Amino acid sequence: MRGLQARLRDAALGAGLLALSVQVAHAAPARAGTSYYTAAQAGRGATAYQQFCAVCHGADLGGAFDVPPLVGRFAANWAGAPLGALFDYMSKAMPLFAPGTLTPEQNADLLAFMLRENGAPAGSRDLTPEGLKTMMFPKMTFATVK
Amino acid sequence: MNGFPDDPKNMPTRLGRRGLFAGSLAFGALAGGRWASVPAAAAALRRTAVPGTVPRLVPMRPHADQIADIKVCLRPFRAAGPRLDVERVGGKVVIHNYGHGGSGWSLSWGSAEMAVGKAAALSPRRVAVVGCGVIGLTTALTAQRAGLDVTIYTRDLLPHTRSVRANGSWTPDSRVALTAPAGPQFADTWERMARYSWKSYRDYLGLPGNPIDFRDSYVLSDTPFDAPEPEPENPDHKGDYATTGMPQQSSEFASYGERIRDIIPASELLSAQENPFAVPYARREPLMIFNFGAYGHLLLSEFYQAGGRIVIREFHTPADMKTLPEPVIINCPGYAARDLWGDRSLIPVRGQTAWLPPQPDVAYGVRYKGASALSKSDGLMIQGFDMSGLGEMDGVGNSFEHADRSEAEKAIGIFENLFARFPAGQG
Ligand SMILES: Cc1cc2nc3c(=O)[nH]c(=O)nc-3n(C[C@H](O)[C@H](O)[C@H](O)COP(=O)(O)OP(=O)(O)OC[C@H]3O[C@@H](n4cnc5c(N)ncnc54)[C@H](O)[C@@H]3O)c2cc1C
Repeated sequence: MRGLQARLRDAALGAGLLALSVQVAHAAPARAGTSYYTAAQAGRGATAYQQFCAVCHGADLGGAFDVPPLVGRFAANWAGAPLGALFDYMSKAMPLFAPGTLTPEQNADLLAFMLRENGAPAGSRDLTPEGLKTMMFPKMTFATVK
Repeated sequence: MNGFPDDPKNMPTRLGRRGLFAGSLAFGALAGGRWASVPAAAAALRRTAVPGTVPRLVPMRPHADQIADIKVCLRPFRAAGPRLDVERVGGKVVIHNYGHGGSGWSLSWGSAEMAVGKAAALSPRRVAVVGCGVIGLTTALTAQRAGLDVTIYTRDLLPHTRSVRANGSWTPDSRVALTAPAGPQFADTWERMARYSWKSYRDYLGLPGNPIDFRDSYVLSDTPFDAPEPEPENPDHKGDYATTGMPQQSSEFASYGERIRDIIPASELLSAQENPFAVPYARREPLMIFNFGAYGHLLLSEFYQAGGRIVIREFHTPADMKTLPEPVIINCPGYAARDLWGDRSLIPVRGQTAWLPPQPDVAYGVRYKGASALSKSDGLMIQGFDMSGLGEMDGVGNSFEHADRSEAEKAIGIFENLFARFPAGQG
């Protein structure tokens, strides 16, 4: 039994969603042309990921019941937050079974891989532990959600 | 009045005590042949169960091919005991309530009461609680009961927290602190927490679905309970916590159970005729247990019914707390505080439980050879808590939070073997 109210609500919801998507698109990935990482670096990160991270977070970054995924909600959680905070967290807390054992370069490579998997485009410069301090985790758009 | 030394230093701590709280007094009092000085304990231990009071026990069905789940967790251990101090972050007051080691379920209500007391003293109308493990949830409920409006901010709800990867029995002094760094003051704090929690839990007994329940726990041994046990010390230990920053031996862990023995049901021996297990020595102790499913859902509905709100949110740094609208925040992130709050004093203590299908006709638990089998409403829980003879050092410093199936199978094997010979004297 769908009354007028329900239809109005749906319409409002639809409009809201539209507004939201527009807004997301506007807030979307930093300035055009931001170079987050290079394809080669993300490739190195992919190798490191399989070695150090996949055992818990899954080969496809999907996580598990007790382990957070590194795609999907993860992107929403970090969107707009300083990449430096994520980098610091990874550097201190991960991998959980041997926290703090990866080098800054390895962590930067891993972050490059995670950015790639979350839809951020490759660019012409490597992501460096220094350089990433001034960057934000990009917001996802319809185009980048995989 | 009891004849026991209250000073934990005087208490025998060498016997593996973790998860073994009920009856630990009688057990512990025997260590080192201290019988003569403790007549009350002797009397307690010499009491043999009245014939006929051991019911016919339905055998457990512990087989590795029945594993339905393996859960791994890191106990949030701090040498000085849980962090309960108050800190300012920007304009916010943050009251910490984390680091309860292997005793978080048991101490939750008492710890919540203390944290909420500090919050209420500031007369806020509303408070934020960060975290929704057993500590966060009981803190939130306690704050509501103190008349505050409560919002929980959390990354996960209870079923996804470390809390539900515990064993879930009354173990209030299981690796909750080290005696020396915690000092006598924490012993007093602990006692207040434990007594408050015990009473709070009693209020949840006898409810539909049995969120909280009691089980007879049968503790089995191949040697007499009064025989001196080998020291479960770390053979190649170097120093102690004071010199290395890590606990190095079992005897460093605090044991406070003695202080509340007046309210904890004691254990009794089974005579050889009454003992149904094919193991020479058995004692029985009533054990309070927490059924995660029933209890967790009940707490959550109580929270919602009282007008509580939950916001799913992950904090990246302590500074994020400044963005919350509430002026007072009670911080309950458990082990995650190590990285969220940069609290390096948190030491991981790994533990694992295997879950087999529930056996509602089995209403007891068994402990044998460093492993525990406990029939709970959400499954037959089997945990190897000390299968390598490391005592309290088992899992200390290990943050590998990943299932180890062979460990689970080994623990299950102990009970498979035991029940293949059950009841004793038949077949
Ligand atoms: C194998 C094992 C057996 C145990 N057996 C027992 C037992 O029998 N009896 C007993 O009393 N105790 C037992 N314990 C101990 C008990 O499980 C813990 O002390 C207790 O679960 C700690 O609860 P907590 O709420 O502090 O932490 P957690 O359960 O870890 O909850 C932390 C909460 O904070 C949230 N959070 C964390 N970081 C963030 C962030 N950055 N942003 C937002 N939210 C965040 C999480 O999502 C979660 O909701 C056992 C532990 C283990 C490992």
